[in-house]
Amino acid sequence: MAVQTMPVSSRPETSVPVRTRRGIGVLLILATMAVFLFPMWWMVINSLRPGASILNDPLGFDPRDFSLNNWRGMLANIPIIQALGNTAVVVVLKGALTMIFCPLAGYGFAKFDFPLKKQLFTFVLITLMLPTLVLIIPLLVQMGELGWINTFKALVLPGAIDAFSVFWMRQVISEVPDELLDAAKIDGAGILRTFYSVVVPVIRPGLAALAVLSLFNIYNDLVWPIVAINDERHQTLAVLLASLATNVTGAQTSASSADLWGQLLAASTFATIPTVIIFIVLQRHFIRGLLAGSTR
Amino acid sequence: MTSTSVVDPAVERAAGSVLPNRRPSRRGWVGYALIAPFFILFAAFGAYPLIFAIQLSFTDWRGSGSVNWIGLSNYTYLLTNLEFWGSLANSGVMWLLIVPIQTIAAVAVAALLSRSNLRFTKVLRTVVILPYVTPMAAMAQAFILLFDTNFGVTNYLLGFLGMEPIGWLTTTFWSKPTIALFVLWKTSGFALIIMLAAVQQIPGEVYEAAAIDGANRVRTFFLITVPLVRRSVAFFVVVSTLGISQMFLEPYVLTKGGPYTSSKTSGLYLYDHIGASDLGTGAANSFLLVILVLILSLAATKLLRSED
Repeated sequence: MAVQTMPVSSRPETSVPVRTRRGIGVLLILATMAVFLFPMWWMVINSLRPGASILNDPLGFDPRDFSLNNWRGMLANIPIIQALGNTAVVVVLKGALTMIFCPLAGYGFAKFDFPLKKQLFTFVLITLMLPTLVLIIPLLVQMGELGWINTFKALVLPGAIDAFSVFWMRQVISEVPDELLDAAKIDGAGILRTFYSVVVPVIRPGLAALAVLSLFNIYNDLVWPIVAINDERHQTLAVLLASLATNVTGAQTSASSADLWGQLLAASTFATIPTVIIFIVLQRHFIRGLLAGSTR
Repeated sequence: MTSTSVVDPAVERAAGSVLPNRRPSRRGWVGYALIAPFFILFAAFGAYPLIFAIQLSFTDWRGSGSVNWIGLSNYTYLLTNLEFWGSLANSGVMWLLIVPIQTIAAVAVAALLSRSNLRFTKVLRTVVILPYVTPMAAMAQAFILLFDTNFGVTNYLLGFLGMEPIGWLTTTFWSKPTIALFVLWKTSGFALIIMLAAVQQIPGEVYEAAAIDGANRVRTFFLITVPLVRRSVAFFVVVSTLGISQMFLEPYVLTKGGPYTSSKTSGLYLYDHIGASDLGTGAANSFLLVILVLILSLAATKLLRSED
């Protein structure tokens, strides 16, 4: 009976005081954060330590030891700047296609009426369920026939206008009031004018989320690039890192590879830092994008 | 309508709401023009390769030379091949090591965080999702060094405790759990975000009612929170199952599927066909996987949404 009059947080079944419980809760939260941050923190710190120290004392932390030697070695031995440039090219080109054509297709599905629209939209939803893995082998053959292996075309075009983004943008744009569109029409604005001056400003949050999500997807994409690209001149950052990692699996456990370890950690840090910074700045949009994905 | 049952009901509702458009005034061809780029690109890089892959799966083509029609041989070869079944078993073990614990932990942590308003909750969310946005290959490299048998941090710590070093990535027993640990580290933030959003949609009154009824925390969790986030759980389980059935990069980078074939997942086994130019078998393998994944997804959806 006493239960009913007690506040929720101090029910008698828990004999531990609230303050202690909250303290334990905060400690658990901090411990969880430490576990999730540790690999990244270790990677960054050890990219600054001499290779021999990384091997002999993997948990050592002595700022006097820190140097940029690994970074210099990495820049000299690993074509990472070129890989970053390649990734930038793919991000810009593929990102532009996504950002232009997915919202337009969403606009078409949300605000226009035409025969077979429902069937076509259902078709878009069905293609959502098509696993990428099925397409890899035939796409590879197709790229071979087109002479597109080791080209940016192969990295940019397949999947540039993806079903999920079209579906998502349709959802976002269908919330734009029809009255706004009609008003623009009465003012004599054409279809594209209406889109850019009426629809785009209203759906700006959705577009921002799409942009951030696409940015990460393209930057980190590896499944298709690792198949389509096998020369150094066109490899993206992700492909380069994957090949470095598979090399180190072969070379590991020999102390002679100590310097290599440091350089690999520098390369990994180099590729990771931009994602962390961009994520922290644009976190809000990214999470909104992820959640939009969860409603599919 | 079997195909749509994988899709969230929200999607089906959205698709339905397209129909009664009150303003059919805008001309049809504009609509077609707007959606055309998607369909053109899909025809070129989706439909065409798909049809080609179906054909390919009935041939012994190896990327060059003559194409011989061999009927179902690729399929029967795979279905009678221990390596194929072994790769499925490895993926099954990965699934067991990852999905149940990740899903349950995400729901539990989301429930605790959303109702406790403890300090650092927001920061925790940011920190836990951070690994999800980092480049997989970069972090895999750090993991290879962290879990190195001779020089890694984990064995260094075990040494402190007076324990023998463990071959995390180099023994058949530990290779799968270590890869699973990497995947858990990398993707748990995604699970947490999904579950937090779901838990936050549960109205507070429901919990107040439960408290008045004298339900304790554990009962409240299992009788209220879990059933109410069922839909998000179903979504997450289906997405993870799809992901794990196709997973090949994590084992490819961390262990190359080894030692022996202990971490060769179904996705990596499929990828191996490309390396061996065994394209016909690879195509057949991919369709077998798709069929399996569709069955699993449908089963998961049915199970978790049975009360809808």
